[in-house]
Amino acid sequence: MPELAVERSGSRGGGFQPAFLKAVSIAFTIFVVGYILIPIVVTLIMSFNDANMIRFPINTWSLKWYRDFLGSAQFTGALLNSLIVAIGTTIIATTSGVLAAWAFERYPIPFKNGLYLIIMLPLFMPGVVLGLGVAIAFGGINIFGFQLYGSRLLLMIAHSLWAMPLVFMLMEATFRTIDHRIVEASYDLGGKPLQTFFEIVVPSVSTGIISSALFAFVISLNEFVMALFLTDRDTQTLPVLMWLSLRSAGTPRLAVSAVILACAVFACLTVIMVWYIRQLRKTAR
Amino acid sequence: MTTAPALELDHIRRTYGLVTAVDDVSLTVAKGEFLTLLGPSGSGKTSTLRLIGGFERPDSGEIRINGRRVDHLPPYARDTATIFQTGALFPHKTVAENVVYGLKMHKIDKAESEKRVKDALAMVRLTGFEQRYPAQLSGGQKQRVALARSMALRPAILLFDEPLSALDLSLRLQLRAEIKRLHDELGFSAIYVTHDQSEAMAMSSRVAVMNKGHIVQIDKPDIIFHEPKSEFVFTFIGESCCLPVTIRNGEVRDKSGEPVDLKLARPPAAGEWRLYVRPSRVVMGEAAAAAENRIAANVAFAEFLGDVYRYHFKSGALELFCDYGGPERFQPGDRCVVGWDSAHMSVFQ
Amino acid sequence: MTAVTETHAPVLTTEARRARRVERLLPWALMSPALVISIIFFGIPMLLMLRMSFNEHAPQRLYVPGFTARHYVQLLTEERFVNAVWTTMKLSLVASLATLIIGYAFAMLVWLKPARWRLAFIGLALCPLLISEISIIFGWWMFFPKNGLLSYALTSAGILSDKISLMYTEFAAFVGLVYVTLPFCFFILLSILDGIDKRLIEASGDLGAKPLTTFREVLLPLTWTGILVAFAQSFIWAMGTYATPSALGPDTLWTMGYLIQEQMLGKSNWPLASAFSMILVVAVAVVMMFTRSLNARRTSFHA
Repeated sequence: MPELAVERSGSRGGGFQPAFLKAVSIAFTIFVVGYILIPIVVTLIMSFNDANMIRFPINTWSLKWYRDFLGSAQFTGALLNSLIVAIGTTIIATTSGVLAAWAFERYPIPFKNGLYLIIMLPLFMPGVVLGLGVAIAFGGINIFGFQLYGSRLLLMIAHSLWAMPLVFMLMEATFRTIDHRIVEASYDLGGKPLQTFFEIVVPSVSTGIISSALFAFVISLNEFVMALFLTDRDTQTLPVLMWLSLRSAGTPRLAVSAVILACAVFACLTVIMVWYIRQLRKTAR
Repeated sequence: MTTAPALELDHIRRTYGLVTAVDDVSLTVAKGEFLTLLGPSGSGKTSTLRLIGGFERPDSGEIRINGRRVDHLPPYARDTATIFQTGALFPHKTVAENVVYGLKMHKIDKAESEKRVKDALAMVRLTGFEQRYPAQLSGGQKQRVALARSMALRPAILLFDEPLSALDLSLRLQLRAEIKRLHDELGFSAIYVTHDQSEAMAMSSRVAVMNKGHIVQIDKPDIIFHEPKSEFVFTFIGESCCLPVTIRNGEVRDKSGEPVDLKLARPPAAGEWRLYVRPSRVVMGEAAAAAENRIAANVAFAEFLGDVYRYHFKSGALELFCDYGGPERFQPGDRCVVGWDSAHMSVFQ
Repeated sequence: MTAVTETHAPVLTTEARRARRVERLLPWALMSPALVISIIFFGIPMLLMLRMSFNEHAPQRLYVPGFTARHYVQLLTEERFVNAVWTTMKLSLVASLATLIIGYAFAMLVWLKPARWRLAFIGLALCPLLISEISIIFGWWMFFPKNGLLSYALTSAGILSDKISLMYTEFAAFVGLVYVTLPFCFFILLSILDGIDKRLIEASGDLGAKPLTTFREVLLPLTWTGILVAFAQSFIWAMGTYATPSALGPDTLWTMGYLIQEQMLGKSNWPLASAFSMILVVAVAVVMMFTRSLNARRTSFHA
């Protein structure tokens, strides 16, 4: 027991008493748990409020604001936009990130460090900077009558600036865990590089791919600074709408929106867990 | 069917930075031949195999399979199949899916490939295991699936990369016999890499002994054993006792200067020499009286090996050992005569 | 020997040539989508933004092509902009230090606790990471004001007689910022701690070291890299964010992110917003390089 070790060393060294350390550790645990749970619990409680105002205590409970959310074309439309953008981001970021990570893991590439930096750099850039940059570069661009600025496609790509490096980073680590001999075995049995990639490599890292895809999804679903810069009234996402509503007037409807966003995220987590357990059953018996 | 050999290596060389892993290697594997590359680790045998499989490219030289030059082709365009040390089965595919994989890649039609999978699994006695995943198999079973997977392709040449070295002894012996049986039945061409000389001797049509990137001797197993061309081959194949001596004026002396009574078939020139004799050819006790060369020696210590005792002797500066299965027992310090015939002695400078 | 080493002129078949070309081009083909995203949608916008920051601004228009360093001068001399830079730095520094301390203690707690608690704690730490920043802001937005949960809890418990509001204070902004950066810090430090043999602590205790001495002499040097990375991560994040401080903090709390957003969306002054962004980018780059250099010195010492 490591705890014992700390306590014993304390008593022997004559510094702190074990009881004191224990009390500090319990107090800190309560503090951290409380800190993390407060905004979550507050939101959850408020979403079941019946009143129109955000104020405590809550006198009547109801599902009124859930009905209100589902009845509001503006909010459901924003939720739909959020889902479309998040799915698009997932597809773009996962495809590009996985392929690039495979190239990095498998092939000798000139200027590898430089390319690595180019791919990873956007991940460290603040959302405002990325949003502004993309808005400046693509603000007036019009392809065959398709206005890029304000479109969901541009937002998907902008979100991919965060999601793609993340997928790349996760997949690079995952690919390194592959036994390179099964790749050689596939080549040896006549599998061409692309066949090998899809038949052998992708299935053996499926958990990694699913996880990074869902992380990409979650990032896009939650992001709202770039979305604020790059969407118009028709394409605005749920977080953007929440932000704008918060600035004007907060109602329990926002709490409902927050709960629904969180539910989408936790649904993703469940998918990862189920997939992981399924894979584990298959390969590690 | 062409008449060309299954595999030809023509002056192959491969360097990694300053290290020459494969240095001017040439060899030919006839159709149906089972050739073993034998050598210590780092001798270049695995590198040679990887060059043949296409996982590495040679710096110079040519590789031909069935007369067709392949050294610039990637592995998937070569008619070879490797059985890897760890099997390298695809963990997410069942046994049947593993075996059918290569056939699918070569676009072999469904009926034919189903038949081949069935035959291949029957050959390695794994019928009924089709739906298992590799994680559900033992080490020996995995290696057999790997064998079936490669054989189902019916490649021009099978490449074995120390396939048994990860298994324990009894399994190793069992699978060794099985591979030999399959070779006898099917007559495939194969290159087998190992550092285990008994494996090499037991299975091969020919053995190529490698050291430091070179092939130092290539011949039938019995010739390699009985007529080693170099000191390296002699010491690497089988057990040996080394007797360092100095020869001057036709007189043989050990390192301490004591004369030793040895009858050399062709007395070598003056200088420092190392005489080698196989312990299995050294006799002691009564039998030693008839041997051409005899020395009196003290028993240093004895090891019990089961059927026999192994006695280690010291005579002046010379040390040697032999196995004795006779009824007599010797104790450390006992003095006795050991001997061997001159034909069984090799001399290297 | 020369006869042997002579390279045989390679007689390349078309098949072999094609296989070779495919092999050379394949990695580039695989990387191309990622490179298109980073170069076209990140590299080029950054260059355009740099150019934009030197353009002129005119009322009623986003920008007028030109070449002036006026915006940079403005940012470095005008008081409210200089203040914003300092506010941002100060807030980021304090918030990242707090994140580091809480994150370190939290990671150590999880590391030392028996394994059965571990999953629950990790799940807890994942929450701020998986919940949208806007939802978190909204949660605190309902907690701090006069009619919020904090005030209600304190008054109904009898601790306070009057309702209080911590909303729109620097404290609220600070609490929100730390909340968002905490998980990064926690996971980085936990992964470093997990690589340390716990018996080291025991050994140090056996040798008579007090807990604080053990911490200073054993744990701190071993986790130094993680501390730097975690700190840099929090600092960069705090510098770039604008939603949390502007929604929870006082009206006078102007961070760089807030000003960029204001100039871009409110005042439609793209050149000034770009100049501000460039300063932010440089600041992020400096922090990254600084931690990298410290990191390199540290690891070279270990190697």
